[in-house]
Formats: sequence, C-alpha cells, structure tokens
Amino acid sequence: MDDSRPIFLQIAEQLENDIVSGALPEESQVPSTNELAAYLRINPATAGKGVNLLVEAGILYKKRGIGMFVADGARERLVAQRRDRFREQYIAPLLAEARGLGITPTQLAAMIGEEDAR
Amino acid sequence: MTTTALAARPAPIPGPGARVWRIVRLLTANPWTTVWWPVLILTAIFLMTLSIWGLIRLNVPDVGAEGLPGTQYNGGISWIFVYMLVVAVQAINLSFPLALGYGSTRRAFLLGTGLTFTILAAAYALLLTVGSTLEEATRGWGSGGAFFRPFYFATDAGPLAQWWIYFCWLAFFLFTGVYFAAVFVRWRAVGLTLALLLFAAVVIGAVALLTFTGGWGLVGDAIGTLGTVGSASVMLVPGLVAAAIGYGVLRRATPRA
Amino acid sequence: MSTIVRATGLTKTYGIGGGAVHAVSDASFALEENRIHGLLGRNGAGKTTLMQLLTGQEFATRGTIEVFGERPVENARVLDRVCFIKESQRYPDDFRVRHVLRSAPGFFPEWDADFADELVERFRVPLGRRMKKLSRGQLSAVGVIVGLASRAPLTFFDEPYLGLDAVARQLFYDVLLADYAEHPRTVILSTHLIDEVSNLLEHVLVIDDGRIVIDADADDLRGAAIDVVGARSAVDAFTADREVLHRAGLGGLATATVANLDDAGRKAARDAGLELAPVSLQQLVIRTTVGANAGHTNGENE
Repeated sequence: MDDSRPIFLQIAEQLENDIVSGALPEESQVPSTNELAAYLRINPATAGKGVNLLVEAGILYKKRGIGMFVADGARERLVAQRRDRFREQYIAPLLAEARGLGITPTQLAAMIGEEDAR
Repeated sequence: MTTTALAARPAPIPGPGARVWRIVRLLTANPWTTVWWPVLILTAIFLMTLSIWGLIRLNVPDVGAEGLPGTQYNGGISWIFVYMLVVAVQAINLSFPLALGYGSTRRAFLLGTGLTFTILAAAYALLLTVGSTLEEATRGWGSGGAFFRPFYFATDAGPLAQWWIYFCWLAFFLFTGVYFAAVFVRWRAVGLTLALLLFAAVVIGAVALLTFTGGWGLVGDAIGTLGTVGSASVMLVPGLVAAAIGYGVLRRATPRA
Repeated sequence: MSTIVRATGLTKTYGIGGGAVHAVSDASFALEENRIHGLLGRNGAGKTTLMQLLTGQEFATRGTIEVFGERPVENARVLDRVCFIKESQRYPDDFRVRHVLRSAPGFFPEWDADFADELVERFRVPLGRRMKKLSRGQLSAVGVIVGLASRAPLTFFDEPYLGLDAVARQLFYDVLLADYAEHPRTVILSTHLIDEVSNLLEHVLVIDDGRIVIDADADDLRGAAIDVVGARSAVDAFTADREVLHRAGLGGLATATVANLDDAGRKAARDAGLELAPVSLQQLVIRTTVGANAGHTNGENE
C-alpha cells in the first residue's frame, strides 16, 4: 500500500489491474471483501469501499447471495479509460520535458521508435 | 441520544444475580487459595497437634479430669482468621482491577465480594463446627485437649450456636479486610498507613479510656454476661461497619497500574 | 450507522491548583459503531486515561460521556458490553492463565470458548503458568485472547503488541481482521506504533498532551499531507500562503509538510521544480504532535 492515496482507491486500482491483465476474466468471481481484507491486511470496510467503487462504475456486479463478478465488457472499458489516462499522465509530461530539452515531437517519435527497436 | 443503541443489539443480557455471581466465580477461580490450602494447612496443624499431645501423654501417665496440662490453650485455629483477613485484602486489591476490566460495576463487584466472603465464612464455620463436635464427642481426642474449641470459642449451646460463633468471627476478619483493602486500592500506601494509624489510635484510645476509668471490670462482666455466643455476635457490628466503609470507599476508587 | 461513543468537553484533571495535571483536556468526539478506531498518541499523552473514562473506571472532572447512549460510570447495561484489558492489567497473585480463561466467560455473554482455546494454541500461551511468571509478550497475548474471545460489542486493545514478536503481532492483526469481519463490533486500538496498524484502522483519534489533535477517517488522512522538497527559496515561495504542518531544512534544501494539497496544488509544486513525497500516517501524527519545536531543533526558522 502506498501512503499518498486512500487505500480504497488502491484496492479498486489493483482489481482493475487484474481485470486489464486478464487475471480476473469477465464473468469470473472476485474475491470477497473479507478475503481481500485478510489477504491485504486492511480493514474489511475499506476493502468494501474499494469494491463498491467498481460496482458503481459498472465494472463489477453483485449476484445476490453468491458474490461479486466481473461485468461483461469491463476489460474493454477499463482499457479505453486507461488509454485516455495514459495520454494525460505520460504523453503530456513527456512532451513538456522534451520541449524543455529542445526535442521536437518529430524527434521524440523517432526516439521512441529507436528505443522500441532495440 | 436515547437508548436506541442499546436496544439495537440483541445480546443476551445477564440479570443482576448473574452479575454478582460471576464475581463469586472470579474470586474462587483458583480454589487453592480459598479452599484447598486453608483446609490442608488446618489438617496438617491438627495432625501435628494430635501427635504432640500423644507425645505428652506418653510422658505424663496420669491424665486428670481437666485433661492434659497446657492443651486447653492453643492457637491451632486462630491463624485461619488471620488467613481470611489476608484473603480478603488480596481478593479485593487484585481482583478489583480485573473485574472492572471485564466490565463489572463496582457495585456488583462489592456485592459479589460480600457474598463470597459470607459463603466462605459459613463454609469454614461449618468445617470448624464439625471438628468441634467431634472434639466434644471424643473428649478432646482422648487427651482432653482443645483444638477446635478453646474456651474463648466454645459454647455448650449446641452445634448451631457453635457454628454462629465461628461464622461471626470469620465474618469480622473478612470484612475488616474489605475495609483495609478498599483504603489501599483507593489511596495506596499512604491511605493504608493513615487507616492503620487511625485504627491504632481508636484501639489505644479505648484501652486508655478503660484503664483510666477502671472500666476493664465492666468489660469483663459484659463478656461474662454475653458469653462466647454474645461476644461473637457483637463482633458482627464492627465487621459490618468496616464493610460499609469499605463499600463507600471503593465505590469511588479507580484501578491503577 | 450509529454513534457508540460520544464525548463532549471531556476533561480529567489530577491534583489541584498549580500542580494540577490535565490528563485529558476538553475532548469532544464521536465514534461510530462497528468500526476499528485507532487511538494514537505518544506515551503519556492521555490514551489510558481516556479509555478509563470511556469505561467508567475513571471519573470525569468535567464534560459528558455517552457509551451506547448512556453514561458508563457504574452502568451495568453499558459495561456488560465492554471489554478493556489494560496494557498494565493486574491479575490476582494466585492466577494462572487458565484461571483467567475460566473467570472471563461469565462477564461476556458472547464469549467463544473454542475461539479462546484456538488462540491459546496459536499464541502458544502456557495455560498452567502463573500470570506473574509470564513474559511481557505472553501477558500481552492473554489480554489479546480475552479481548478477541470476549466478542464484546465495544472492545479495547491497549498497546496489545508489547513484548510480542513480529510473528505474534502479525497473528494478532490477522486474527483481529478475520474475526472482526465475521463478527462486526467496535474496536478501539490504542497504540503508538502507527505504521503497523494504519491499514487496519477506519477512523483515527490522535491525542497529544490530553487534547484531541486529529479526529478523522483514516482514508481522509492518507494524502491529507504531503512533503514538498526542494530549494529553500522555492519551498518558501510555494508554502507562503499554504498550511504548513512541519518544516525541516539542511543548507539550501528544505522540506515542508503541507496540508490538504489538491491536484492543482500538486501540479503547481511540480511545475515549480519541487518534489513531492507521501507522508505516512505515522509521520503525519509525529509532525502533528511534536508541534513547532521540532522545526527549531532541526535548525529551521519559521
């Protein structure tokens, strides 16, 4: 757990990571709040808050009396969200830093291509 | 806010009797202290006393009607009264913080303690009465000795009166223990020292008063008139006063580390 | 969710006149039911006195306390639902561990004997040993076992890890979480080792010198403060109109712990060439409770 952000956000993010990576396929059951709490050694209510965040976003859904499941199409939606965020979090600062060093966007694109080829 | 939070939880609620009884269970959780050790020690002292009497008899061939010389006065059972005082002090001093940690009220703790001590006094009085009855029946265990019935405890008024005498004296020591323990728990060593000084002052004052006014004869007469049963009954008064003061003192006490 | 503990203007003063010690000063707070609350603070900050007040063991000088909606002092209806084994709990001299486990169930209607037995085994507590002869860790373990097995609706754990080794501490945290998940109840965990428990807590009360200095949900405290590190001039400029909890510096470098820095603020800091570092709950508490003096000892002028 990292100290800079609320734990429930980190729980939600961790579950999202597992869905994006395929570790939690669509329509598969998600660990219960208590299992998450015990495994991660966090308060069950905090784990519940994290899970609820994903329920509200439609990423997970509840089957009464059985548990939580990954919604159909959840992975696709998460990947789309993350692409937007990737732009915001990585591309924008990368361009800003490059500009400061006198690297043009064209040069930068070339550098990325070279790096990828190595 | 009302009592809604209380009502919301359907936990089984113990009745007032259970709240007091669990204190009895707490104080007797280790029966060695309250039951087995005293009984074992009593038995050991009794057997030693019997063997000493046996040795004396071997060397003193003629046992008169008065019994063996020197066997009428002994402290054979006196220690048990002091032991009870110590039990009382320990029980309160060390069980009080635990009982409060367990969520007992001071009131329930004190009532439970009083009940425990009453039961202990009654049970030991019964044990001593059995010994006393056997002692009488065997004419002092064949030696004319007095282990359970030294003259200051003995009565000819039957087993029930005999039991009452033991009970009153045991209760006196137990409840006096409540007083000293309560003072110690609340005001620690300073309070106990003051309480002991106060106690000594009262005793010395009474002795001085009796000596200067020549009142000892009156006391002797009173004891003579009251007899062992009456004298023991009188001891219940200071015992109950001590317990009442102890109760008042402990009602405002806080367990400290 | 309902409030289970409410204190208003709670004050406990020992002694009178000039020598009076304010163990708890004007504390007002509310604790919600079925949560794990942390009572954090340095040794001698007033944690134990506060818990004794809440459990009716101590008498308040001023202010009011409501537990389950009623005054706790000498109130059997309240105290029947409370378990508070102190860190310095004293036991009868003749008690062995088994006597504690024999006497406790009568006081806790929801006592789970099987659970207690299981815990005795897992914590490796010697049942036949005298309480006086137990090691510090074993003594703590007995307190933990009683607290857990009591399933009391309001359970206090007072520095429960003292003397416990790393394995036993982890065991306690794991068992607490698992049992709390199955049997929700209100737990108040007093500790000064904050990092170890910060993930278990939902709500945090920090007491310092008898005063409640933080009363917040644990999640709100995460990220509530952040260290801003960089050149002294840049840090000073950035913090000029911001709430600073703590400052430290070394030569031309400075660190300021800034409260409630939002995303825009973080971006502004980065744009100013400053580095941001997260502040753990433990650090936040330390910085809140040592006050301004620490800044001076570190050679910083404010």
